[in-house]
Amino acid sequence: MKAVVALTAGGLLWAAACVEPRDATPPLPDARVLRAPDTAGLEPVPVPDLSTMSESVQRGLRERIEKLRESLSSASPPEETLADRYGDVATVLLAARYFSESEQYFLNAHTLTPMDRRWPYYLGHVYRNVGPLDEAARFFEQANQLQPNDSATLIWLGEVYLAQGRHDGAAALFERVTAREPASAAAWFGAGRAALAGGDRAQATAALEESLLREPTATAVHYPLAMAYRGLGDLERAEAHLARQGDVAPRPVDPLMSALGDLLESPEVYSSRGRSALAAGNWPGAADLFDKGLAMAPADPFLRYGFGFALMRMGDAGGAEAAFRRAIQTSPRHVEAYYTLAEVLDGTGRPVEAVATLRLALEYTPGHVAARTKLAGILGRTGAPEEALQEFARTLELAPANAEAAFGYAMNLVRVDRFQAARDALAEAVQSFPDPTPFRLALARLLAAAPDARVRDGRRALEMAEDLLESAPGLALGETLAMALAELGRFADATQVQRDVVAAAQQARLDDTVVRRMTENLSLYEGEQACRRPFGADEMP
Amino acid sequence: MLTSCTADPRGADRPAGAGGERLEVAAATPSDADTRHDWFVDRAAAVGLDFVHFNGMSGELYFPEMIPPGVGLFDFDNDGDLDAYLVQSAMLGDDKTLDDAVFRWTGSSPPRGRLFRNDLQKGTGGSETLRFTDVTEASGIDARGYGMGAAVGDIDNDGWLDLYLTYLGRNRLFQNRGDGTFRDVSTASGTDDPGWGVSASFLDYDRDGWLDLYVGNYVQYDLAADVRCARLTGERLYCGPEAYLPQSDRLFRNRGDGTFDDVTTRALLSPQVGPALGVSTADFDGDGWIDIYVANDQTENLLWRNQQDGTFVDSAMLSGAAVSVDGEPEGSMGVDAADADNDGDVDLVMTHVPGEGHNLYINLGAGFFEDHSAASRLHAATLGYTGWGTAWFDYDNDGWLDVLAVNGAFRQVPSQAGDPFPYGERNLLLRNTGDGRLRDVTDQAGAVFDLVEVSRGAAFGDIDNDGDVDVLVSNVNGAPRLLVNNVGQDSHWLGVRLVGAEAPRDMVGARVEVTRPDQPTLWRRARADGSYATANDPRVHVGLGDSDVTPTVRVIWPNGRSEQWAEVEIDRWMTLTEGTGAAP
Repeated sequence: MKAVVALTAGGLLWAAACVEPRDATPPLPDARVLRAPDTAGLEPVPVPDLSTMSESVQRGLRERIEKLRESLSSASPPEETLADRYGDVATVLLAARYFSESEQYFLNAHTLTPMDRRWPYYLGHVYRNVGPLDEAARFFEQANQLQPNDSATLIWLGEVYLAQGRHDGAAALFERVTAREPASAAAWFGAGRAALAGGDRAQATAALEESLLREPTATAVHYPLAMAYRGLGDLERAEAHLARQGDVAPRPVDPLMSALGDLLESPEVYSSRGRSALAAGNWPGAADLFDKGLAMAPADPFLRYGFGFALMRMGDAGGAEAAFRRAIQTSPRHVEAYYTLAEVLDGTGRPVEAVATLRLALEYTPGHVAARTKLAGILGRTGAPEEALQEFARTLELAPANAEAAFGYAMNLVRVDRFQAARDALAEAVQSFPDPTPFRLALARLLAAAPDARVRDGRRALEMAEDLLESAPGLALGETLAMALAELGRFADATQVQRDVVAAAQQARLDDTVVRRMTENLSLYEGEQACRRPFGADEMP
Repeated sequence: MLTSCTADPRGADRPAGAGGERLEVAAATPSDADTRHDWFVDRAAAVGLDFVHFNGMSGELYFPEMIPPGVGLFDFDNDGDLDAYLVQSAMLGDDKTLDDAVFRWTGSSPPRGRLFRNDLQKGTGGSETLRFTDVTEASGIDARGYGMGAAVGDIDNDGWLDLYLTYLGRNRLFQNRGDGTFRDVSTASGTDDPGWGVSASFLDYDRDGWLDLYVGNYVQYDLAADVRCARLTGERLYCGPEAYLPQSDRLFRNRGDGTFDDVTTRALLSPQVGPALGVSTADFDGDGWIDIYVANDQTENLLWRNQQDGTFVDSAMLSGAAVSVDGEPEGSMGVDAADADNDGDVDLVMTHVPGEGHNLYINLGAGFFEDHSAASRLHAATLGYTGWGTAWFDYDNDGWLDVLAVNGAFRQVPSQAGDPFPYGERNLLLRNTGDGRLRDVTDQAGAVFDLVEVSRGAAFGDIDNDGDVDVLVSNVNGAPRLLVNNVGQDSHWLGVRLVGAEAPRDMVGARVEVTRPDQPTLWRRARADGSYATANDPRVHVGLGDSDVTPTVRVIWPNGRSEQWAEVEIDRWMTLTEGTGAAP
């Protein structure tokens, strides 16, 4: 510790923070470390503060630490046994992502049994996460020497080389794997990123496309692929991949790391795994994991919420509702629980309860855009369009680029017969939103068939509809075309188009009310009358 | 679900407030004799920066506790040297009092932000005496509440810098009266956004001559609904932003009459809303109009490209500066933009959390970036750190912009177990070697870089006007550090303050081209934003290395006009006023 000095300024004692240089950390009290006999050549290991951990974790770690302590106290513990005991503690710590805490345990195990590949392999992972990367590389290289050509080791070593800026070295490693295991999406992923780092974008796209071919659900491949296409000047492909990018990376088959998965059991572990299962769309798996977590911590509102969410996705509305209500009981300000409960209530035909639930959620978190948008939507659908307009407007203040709110706002203006305002709102949205298609279509409809003659503009409606033929073909556009043609007095053309629409709707077995509405419009055109109802009930949000 | 808190360290040796009568002291700064060869020396205490930050923690691990404080450097009295503003926070919890604080506050109550006037005196022979005086009371700045950061800009074009403070809660704008005092115009101006503001930036985005305001907001936070987070073992820790809903940033357009119009809904057209921590404004795509880069915590960053019609569209993803090289959103706390590779456009440096490594995005031109974090070795050097304030600055005046990143954990550091505040990390200095690499030179930089503290804000500026860039660092629950640069002044430098003609203020957003015969052209820019929750020196500093050739300086003003000055004197601070140069 640096010298303690008292400073004065203006007669007052001034205090600076008590700080210590990193290298001079005072030794922990004996209770906080486990020391090996002096002759062993092993460093003391820190004992984590178990009192901060959940009971199940405490139990597991305590057992392992006690076994290690036993071995350390015995006269001549066999090196392999002692190494395993160090490793047993270290692997639990690593599973818990306590990287720094696990480090010395692994190092001691490695000192005792240097030919055991597990220890340098795990140390590679420790240093890969917290640095230094040189050590990560060194230990993965050692692991590779002990078991040459293990794919997982080569791939992780390649990843470390990439992080060090050694893209040529990384490329060589990934190439070794792809040569022997052409099905390895992880190796192709690495090879592609190494090529990209080296500036070879053509090679990068080739390798990354191979990765995606082998593991189409590896959404993380899309980002570097997008960057590679961007570098080649293909912005369209780049944007297409960016739209699909996510965080599921292709990983090598890795038994040693997979083995860590079962070492730790705590409500938090189940919560984390449950969330991962939800993200992967594995609803039954998620439900099972959250359920296990709840067995350990029944009052945990987040586990309860996750459980409810999984049940909801599995179609168990009753189970989901019960879970959300219980989560709210425990955590009255759990806004997500209110929001998702409202979804269930609305989905099971109880919009009034859904509205009440959402209003409560918004009392706690007025800025919850999704809740407010949903509230507005339900209000609009259930005969309260003026209130819906207020809520959509408020949503847009919070999130001006929220397309759902902008669309809902415009359509509720239609509901209250404010057609000019609806036209203006849709026209503004067409200019402002990156994907204006829904707004364009709705605007064309309004221009074609609004009851208000000041709003109708058949020519413009037809132009807009024809512009959408390529990007938004479908029955909705067909109806729009027919409306516009009828507005322009081209009833024969309108009739022909609408007949095709009705036929297609019948073939697609759309709901009877929808077909009926379309047929009514057909009758209008056959009678040389224009349509004055731009949107059917089924088309309103 | 609560787990047990860490041991109650009340009574432990921790700092008191400004003016407090404390206590045993451990000043870790070595004596002058030890530091004479250090590149940087901490002189905060010696020059009178008597301040300690108070984050109001009570053992509840409330989320806001680890986010502040920022810091500011700005010449509020127009005497040619940089004054300092130190952000203060407060007790957290409606049912908590100062008696509940883990680290006892013994200063005047309540804790408030402090303004320190720089009373720099130049002696004969070029020596300087640096001295700061706390002028908070006289200034009229009564900054209570849970302070986060600071931003400066001359909002009324009267030539006096005004001060904007971000808060967990209502932000505040203090208008500089020009007589050493400030007036609170928060409500009158319409900029008192009630969100959780962290970083903010003044910029003239519409080129109307008036500084507008971008406020980066973090998350929607309600103390009564504070979320308890835990590690996989159940050990409690501070949450990350994913536990809360993000809060929309705000863009305020200056009407020119002392009021601002919230144009967020009309101007920011893309749907991205992220928990913003860092903001840096610059012309990223080279079209002459200022853009806005926002560092979002654990969410895609934003690059608001100015459409030149009062609106912005986010293009961060396609630009390659939204996420890591592997497509993952990262911590993204501090950020700064400058020409790191001396090719004429602005590049980005950004700080992140452990396991991510800080980022270097090199601008390829036209606003497309390439991630050079690994190739530059920045990633490897910073992998284990939690970075906050950072900026490009030429510490050794060799003409290449270097990086300083201040660090401080938000998860307990295992080696500090038993420490009442076990979140300390070293700060890092990385030297730009001019070949695309940033070399970690921290170990050579001086004893002050051995300190292990919980740093957040870092304001960059030439505090002693000796031609090299110094750094004022703020620490959570700690005293600030004033890193006075001892090496830069050994090389030549150019220092210019860029002042407008119609508006006699610092022309932030202006770009400077420095040309000399047989020397590479250097591009720099005037900015006060960047880093983390911080206000920086808006003057332009350019390292010139060994060459004493006087340069030609061309300034491209924010309105797009340019003019140049030949043979600008070096090794002294100059003012270049719009309209006094020649046509290029």
